[in-house]
Amino acid sequence: MDNPVIIFEKVNKNFYIQEEKTFKEFLPNLFLGKPWAKKVAALDDVSFKIFQGETVGIIGKNGAGKSTALKLIAGVTTPTTGKVIITGKVAPLIELGAGFHHELTGYENIFLNAAILGMHKKEIELKLDDIINFSELKDFIYAPVKKYSSGMYMRLAFSIAINTNAPLLLIDEVLAVGDEGFQKKCINYLQEVKKSGEKTIIFVSHSEQLVKDFCEKVILLDQGKMIAEGKPSEVFERYHHILKQDEENSKL
Amino acid sequence: MMLKLLIQPFLTHKYLLFQLTQRSIKARYKQSIIGYAWVLINPLAQLLVYTFVFSVIFKFPTNNIPYPVFLFAGLLPWIYLQNVLITATSSLIDNSDLIRKVYFPREILPYSVVLSKTIDFFFALSLLLIFMLAYQIPIGITILYIFPLFLIQIILMSGLSLIFSTFNLFYRDIQYLVPLLLLLWTYITPVVYALSLVPKTYVAIYKLNPMVGIIEGYRSALFNLPFDTGTIYWSFIFSVFVFLSGFIFFKKSEKVFADIV
Repeated sequence: MDNPVIIFEKVNKNFYIQEEKTFKEFLPNLFLGKPWAKKVAALDDVSFKIFQGETVGIIGKNGAGKSTALKLIAGVTTPTTGKVIITGKVAPLIELGAGFHHELTGYENIFLNAAILGMHKKEIELKLDDIINFSELKDFIYAPVKKYSSGMYMRLAFSIAINTNAPLLLIDEVLAVGDEGFQKKCINYLQEVKKSGEKTIIFVSHSEQLVKDFCEKVILLDQGKMIAEGKPSEVFERYHHILKQDEENSKL
Repeated sequence: MMLKLLIQPFLTHKYLLFQLTQRSIKARYKQSIIGYAWVLINPLAQLLVYTFVFSVIFKFPTNNIPYPVFLFAGLLPWIYLQNVLITATSSLIDNSDLIRKVYFPREILPYSVVLSKTIDFFFALSLLLIFMLAYQIPIGITILYIFPLFLIQIILMSGLSLIFSTFNLFYRDIQYLVPLLLLLWTYITPVVYALSLVPKTYVAIYKLNPMVGIIEGYRSALFNLPFDTGTIYWSFIFSVFVFLSGFIFFKKSEKVFADIV
């Protein structure tokens, strides 16, 4: 439990949002020396450590920097300043079918998607039955995924992600899509994984109940800053406080 | 260091490259009647029209090689180049969901385009073989020279794919610019006409186009004609330069792909 798998050290991440898109607007601004893009700090001096086998929830309002934090963990982007150190392979749960090709069958997509998540052919073949069984899509596995409902999509994506050999699992809100039965099954499965301590799970959700049930540690982000880190009940208290303040501010 | 960076993705992400290539090939014949045969129909249709225009109307001289065969030897690699560059240019944008979510060496995406179009190209080459047999053109040992030439073309196309796909991520104008460039490029390359038609005064400049050495080289190999070695060397040097600068540029920009896509 004492070796950190994710370390954020004073991480800052700035985005530049381009406003002038057309050349006609862009050119005069260039001559006038106006900045060509607006700076937005998505993460502002964030430091934390996540240890092997932990289940950590990241909460916050929309735009608080949750997705940016996940992106940094997944390694698709780099911090503007500061350090992000990740040990081990990461399996992000890809947005609904982003890694799928609509015309291909569920079966073909398993191989495609698992390859995207860094698996080799033999590893996938070994896990194939587990993936199909868990997704409950046995009867539809040779149908093109464009015929799938969004719930079926999610089930397949989820089954693939949890069956990768990656020790780090990122779950970004997607659980909300499946029906209640499957959702429960996923939670149960994740509980099992959690007990075994093999995987470190990062969980982003707006559902307080899910996070409280499931995570032993919660990180609260607000406007790019880390406000709190600790036990779910305590952190949620802070979160409710922030939400209440916002409500009062908007009334004024 | 650089060599390692260049080769490593082929070892660590070999299966992903294979899967992505397979995806684009499979996707083409799903929900389609003719499916994969489009790979052959496209060049055949162009062959028909070009043959009519340039051997019936214009009567281009082609060193006594029947025009359809002469044309195919240049047209098939040219269509190959066009397909690669147009598809590869948008390859990063088309997979923006993946770029935003999962890490893998990004060059796998343009490479997979080159690879899948290469498979198409090999299928289309069977047409050339049929035409050569039909016109009873002797197939000699020099035909093996098409492989090193083919390698030069792959290097050139991969380099351009890396450059165009990156630029297109920053400015979408590139995906409109590339087809235009290709159209203009067709006319300054000996695809539908022979190099011998180019006036002597312009030949030196004309040969700076790296595709001249490659296409003319294919013809020399197929029809057992003398090789213009100097021009082929130039194509090789130029292609390697394009690839290396493209690769460095791609790798330097890769870090911000997820932020701007």
